[in-house]
Amino acid sequence: MKSTQALSVVLLSLLLTWAGQVALGYFQVGKLEPILNEETNLKEPPTPSGLTQTGTRVFASEGCIECHSLSVRGPIGSADLTRGWGERRSVPRDYLFRESALVGFSRIGPDLSNIGNRMKDPQDLMMHLYNPRNLKPTSTCPPHPWLFEMKLAGSRHQSDSLPLPTKDWKQIIPTYQAKALVAYLQSLNLNYSLPEAPLK
Amino acid sequence: MTSPLPSFSKASNASVLLITSSAVWGLLAAGLQALSTLQLLLPVLSYIAPIQVMDYGHLSPVVNFLLVYGWITSGLLGVLIILVPRFSGIPFRYGRLLTGGAILWQIGVLSGVTGILGEGGTGIPFLSFLRPVTCIFLVSFLVLGTGITRGLGGSWKSGPLLPRLYLLGALISFPLGLGTAELLLRAGAAPGAIQIIAQLVWASVIQHLWLTPLALVLVFQLIPAMTGRATPSLSLGVLAWTITLCFGGWLSNTLASEGPLPSWLQSAGVVATLLLFVATLGNGNLLQPLLEGKMEEIKRNVALRFMSLGAWSYLAAYGWLAFLALPGVRQTTAFTMTTNTTQALLIFLFWGSILSGSVYALLPVSRNMGWPSHPALTWHFWLTSIGAALMVSGYALAGIFQGLALNDPGVPMGTVASYLRPFLVVILMGQILWWAGQMAFSSLLFSSILKLFPSTAPMAVFPSQSPISTTR
Repeated sequence: MKSTQALSVVLLSLLLTWAGQVALGYFQVGKLEPILNEETNLKEPPTPSGLTQTGTRVFASEGCIECHSLSVRGPIGSADLTRGWGERRSVPRDYLFRESALVGFSRIGPDLSNIGNRMKDPQDLMMHLYNPRNLKPTSTCPPHPWLFEMKLAGSRHQSDSLPLPTKDWKQIIPTYQAKALVAYLQSLNLNYSLPEAPLK
Repeated sequence: MTSPLPSFSKASNASVLLITSSAVWGLLAAGLQALSTLQLLLPVLSYIAPIQVMDYGHLSPVVNFLLVYGWITSGLLGVLIILVPRFSGIPFRYGRLLTGGAILWQIGVLSGVTGILGEGGTGIPFLSFLRPVTCIFLVSFLVLGTGITRGLGGSWKSGPLLPRLYLLGALISFPLGLGTAELLLRAGAAPGAIQIIAQLVWASVIQHLWLTPLALVLVFQLIPAMTGRATPSLSLGVLAWTITLCFGGWLSNTLASEGPLPSWLQSAGVVATLLLFVATLGNGNLLQPLLEGKMEEIKRNVALRFMSLGAWSYLAAYGWLAFLALPGVRQTTAFTMTTNTTQALLIFLFWGSILSGSVYALLPVSRNMGWPSHPALTWHFWLTSIGAALMVSGYALAGIFQGLALNDPGVPMGTVASYLRPFLVVILMGQILWWAGQMAFSSLLFSSILKLFPSTAPMAVFPSQSPISTTR
């Protein structure tokens, strides 16, 4: 085999690898648009807020994706729906505004595609982030106390402080990162219907 | 002891720097990996002393980054810098430039580690580091890769063809793949679900079009040289190379969740995985006659022992991937520790064994040194092999049990985690053994480079060297 022939095979195979998957994929799912819900007059999936976008980065940097997936499968060949991880399966349109769009590769913890729907109270999510065993004593999820600050309580408690007993008149206040992460987690829900994945 | 060929000695510092750094990164990665497994096994540890940089979410991407970019890539580049000018007969001219490239690569690894630990990873597999690190790697590769390519270009018609073909494929795939992935995934060129496709393509490219071809360069160059036998069928080898190049970038789709991907991509991934396994069998068919009847030599020569372990692990790794691609298996094992099994098979048994064997065979040639006749050689082989085997089997069994439990909605998540514990103990034991083996190798490597112990002469990998084997 001549060197030019070998070089052609290499370049062609690389072109096919990227173009065949990314370019063809783009024509199929890259031009998806949000769907207008005629009942609520809102677009779905909704456009995320700036805080939610920051939360995406906190989610990635804290390594949550090492243990949690973001993709509900089913109903055939998977128990995801029966486990209550979503009301329908995930489809490409769900990832439309996610930056970066992560799916995950491990389920040491539960899938989080619908966590915003499962844990609606932001305080519960804050409590989980600070110490997961506050809500579930057997949780294997590690605590993230660095996302919170201990501040001296003034004449009255801050509204966003965690309802946990502390020493020395201090209160536990979520940082901006914690608020962003909670905003992101709350944005994760599959409670809207799409033409390709209707709610049952 | 023979004196090194002076014209080849200019690249010696770069290769030694890459190989010694690789050993250090390997040790660090193995230590951190054991620590992260310990956290999975005993989650209470995270509650006793919650430290952000030592958190599982930070350690896990650091370990993966260190193993792939620090240990394997750095080490393979180091041995290639020794190998390529010798098989091409064209020495490197600019030794200092190569050393600069090698230093830059280590700066990239160090920046990557500190970036992931400090600011956190990106969550993207094999691209968990910050954007400036990509630039450092690309500049470093420009220097190192250009040096290697120069040796490749001038010698196309002489010597064995297969190592050159795999080297060409790898050298082009890495920079183009990394650049494209950076553009699509972090420069905002890929919207929504296309990012997921791009992540999967990049994961395939770095594993199956960069590291596997690099390892195959060493397999097809060194095993024939060490056994004194020629590769039996060139046309079969070229066919296997073509299949590897054409379909290697499609493999990761197989294991992805079907939700965010068009279904045809996953089907294409399954076909590609099966075809790549056929190519692997073809390569196995070429390697089998080279190693047949050489058991005594394999037992005696630690370099050949590592190379043959790596060669058979290559078959096992792609066989395992083909098994995971089967429809029923794929649905059960998605999102489980079977992903770690694949990683352990590829990183520790296939690429890692080939790297170790190549270092044993090639570093003495470059440095005009031999390995001390020391039990550490044997300890390195057995500890790393048994350690890796424990990791692979532990992850495989854990993954299968995890998959079966996850697909049974009656089993709560807490119970699924408890099912993993016995396997995590086995995995942790394997990681500790592997770390101990790597420690034995590192001590041997540094003592040999510093010439602290009397050593034997280098083995004869190239015709101009004296025929003494690296024995123990």
